[in-house]
Amino acid sequence: MEKINIKVNGKDYQVDKGQTILNACKKAGVNIPHLCYMEDVADNASCGVCVVEVKGARALVRSCVQQANEAMEITTNSKKVMDARKTNVELLLANHPNECLTCGRNQNCELQEISQVMGIKETRYVRTKKIDAIDTTSPSLVRDPNKCILCGRCVKICSAVQTVHAINVANRGLKSKVTTFMDKGLGNSVCVNCGQCAIVCPTGAIVERDDTAAVFTALQASGKTVIVQTAPAIRVGIGEAMGMGAGALVTGKMVAALRRLGFSKVFDTDFSADLTIMEEGHELIKRIKTGGTLPMITSCSPGWIKFIEHFFPEQLGNLSTCKSPQQMFGALAKSFYAEKMGLDPRNVVVVSIMPCTAKKYEAKRPEMMGAFDYWKNKMALTENDKFYDVDYVLTTRELARMFKETGIQFAELPNEEFDSPLGASTGAAVIFGATGGVMEAALRTAYEVLTGTALPSLDLTVVRGMEGIKEAELDINGMKVKVAVAHTLANARKLLEQIKAGTSPYAFIEVMTCPGGCIGGGGQPIPTTWAIRKKRAESIYSEDKNKGLRKSHENPEVAVLYKDFLKEPLGHLSHELLHTEYIKRGILV
Amino acid sequence: MTKATETKIDLKKLDEIIIKNKGKQGEILNILEEAQKTIEHQFLPEAALNHIAVQTGVPLSKIYNIITFYSFFNLKPQGDHTITVCRGTACHTRGSKALLDDIGMLMGGSKELEDGEPSFTTPDNKFTIRTVACFGQCALAPVVAIDEVIHSHMTVTKLQKLVAIVAKGGKN
Repeated sequence: MEKINIKVNGKDYQVDKGQTILNACKKAGVNIPHLCYMEDVADNASCGVCVVEVKGARALVRSCVQQANEAMEITTNSKKVMDARKTNVELLLANHPNECLTCGRNQNCELQEISQVMGIKETRYVRTKKIDAIDTTSPSLVRDPNKCILCGRCVKICSAVQTVHAINVANRGLKSKVTTFMDKGLGNSVCVNCGQCAIVCPTGAIVERDDTAAVFTALQASGKTVIVQTAPAIRVGIGEAMGMGAGALVTGKMVAALRRLGFSKVFDTDFSADLTIMEEGHELIKRIKTGGTLPMITSCSPGWIKFIEHFFPEQLGNLSTCKSPQQMFGALAKSFYAEKMGLDPRNVVVVSIMPCTAKKYEAKRPEMMGAFDYWKNKMALTENDKFYDVDYVLTTRELARMFKETGIQFAELPNEEFDSPLGASTGAAVIFGATGGVMEAALRTAYEVLTGTALPSLDLTVVRGMEGIKEAELDINGMKVKVAVAHTLANARKLLEQIKAGTSPYAFIEVMTCPGGCIGGGGQPIPTTWAIRKKRAESIYSEDKNKGLRKSHENPEVAVLYKDFLKEPLGHLSHELLHTEYIKRGILV
Repeated sequence: MTKATETKIDLKKLDEIIIKNKGKQGEILNILEEAQKTIEHQFLPEAALNHIAVQTGVPLSKIYNIITFYSFFNLKPQGDHTITVCRGTACHTRGSKALLDDIGMLMGGSKELEDGEPSFTTPDNKFTIRTVACFGQCALAPVVAIDEVIHSHMTVTKLQKLVAIVAKGGKN
């Protein structure tokens, strides 16, 4: 790498050529405060906080976009720089509401942090913007444009990383704002509810819809059996949100804490992830054997489902008809489990803990009432009795708030085990939380079903890691089967374009909406960076490694479920409770 | 009054515009401009925008970004006649603010204009009042254009007379 010599605050440094002043200074050990800039996400240079003096330049320079050059003399701490920086933050604060104490991002806000770092004690400027309406149209996210500082990160991630383009900047000057087409709101747009905008938002302008109050009410109500399921990626995220290290693996403590919160049973979405593999694996085998639509694409990720419904409605036949593990769990909890325990399904409340904001939307899709349909005739239920399979979905962040609100000393808790009969899981289910995990889990089972022997190595490292699109080729009884794994919707779009063009070489494709998979989901702790995603993924794979059982078809509780209730994969009851249909939406909402 | 939903759009004409501009520089901007000119009441109804988005593949949020940036584009039906008040520096010093306020009050849209809306259209769809940064006719300040005819040394009385003539179908 070619080096250049620069001077920062009077000292000489040698740094790599071809980087911004901000990054060059960082390498030299000098941090330049910045707000709108976010590595790998946005460099709109809109906030003006990262300004520095460069000798010979006419004005202050925005260090997040300006390249460092040979012999550049940079000053980051002169009075001129510090005054300008402070003024720029003050100008943002002039139009930012003083609602920190009641804001969803209190103590986790970059604007709050930077004003503290800048030592801002008062705002000298008066408000110039009009109060704008809060967007509450989405089942997953709430947007408060008044808290927006127009950094553009959300627009960038929605367009470049997800290629959804639900939001953009509208109007000019003082009236500029981030909004949807015709200000219709996220809920009336092509927004897929992935929540990546909330992950990158520096303030509380985009947050998850808070369902903690409703869950507290359910927990405190009498006559209800409130049970909880936890997604694979929660056990590597909730510890982080409770002040433990990034990617801390806290399965046992999480179970203990949920019991202390008052859930009558603590179950595991991993159980239904294993079940998903049984159904999806058999669906894949059936499609391969009977000449069904290939490639088959996974259907666990609700943001992805809404994406394909909007942008590639003609490709819906490629989707697996399997519901996601969350919805399989809900349908079974209110049918199989309620029946087994002699509970009225109307009195069972299913709460999901998900790393995902789109799961809130998924739970409220009108077709997600499998258990109601199951009971409808048996119990002579009317339309007025209608209930969803999953009642409430909480993100990792919301669960952390509930733990804190109830004074749970998370790190001090003992390790406890999940309840039975919807709590057992294998390593294959755990890895659902990371990109490539569903593929690896499916192949562990499908390979064995088709060949009668286990995979040569259970660690399919070729589908692991953070590369955007990964592919692998398997030899199954002499038949070459090509598979691919994509995370982020921009990557998924590439594979879909291939299918549309008729050039897709794959039999099976896994798609996860969020960067890194569910470990980087829109409901996970903030910040979520690539370094943090990698740590969470490492924990996921170590949990898999340490599990006694690592193949979904070895899950003993899933075996009992088939024996006592479902009978066989893709059977009649499976069809009724575990499979679903999709909607051709198109881009007009 | 013509509502967005009631406006009939000639999809054939719209498709011609889209095809004509395909692949050209500034494609979407040209399409939107030409579309607005062909649509009755000079505006871009939602149905037209939807059609353009589907046919061009340009995201709706991007189209909204464009049409809210340029004051040329209208999201609401425009009046039969347009009164454009110049708000350039020369016209301002010769009283164009008072002109705008008075005509706004007369037409019942003073609130919209005070709120900084770029234009206001009367409920009967007869007149649209809008502002412009400068006509380049500063020597004649204050100037007001009625349907693209520029009138110099404008006063409220003069403007009222002109409006009355235009309203009756006469030439200004």
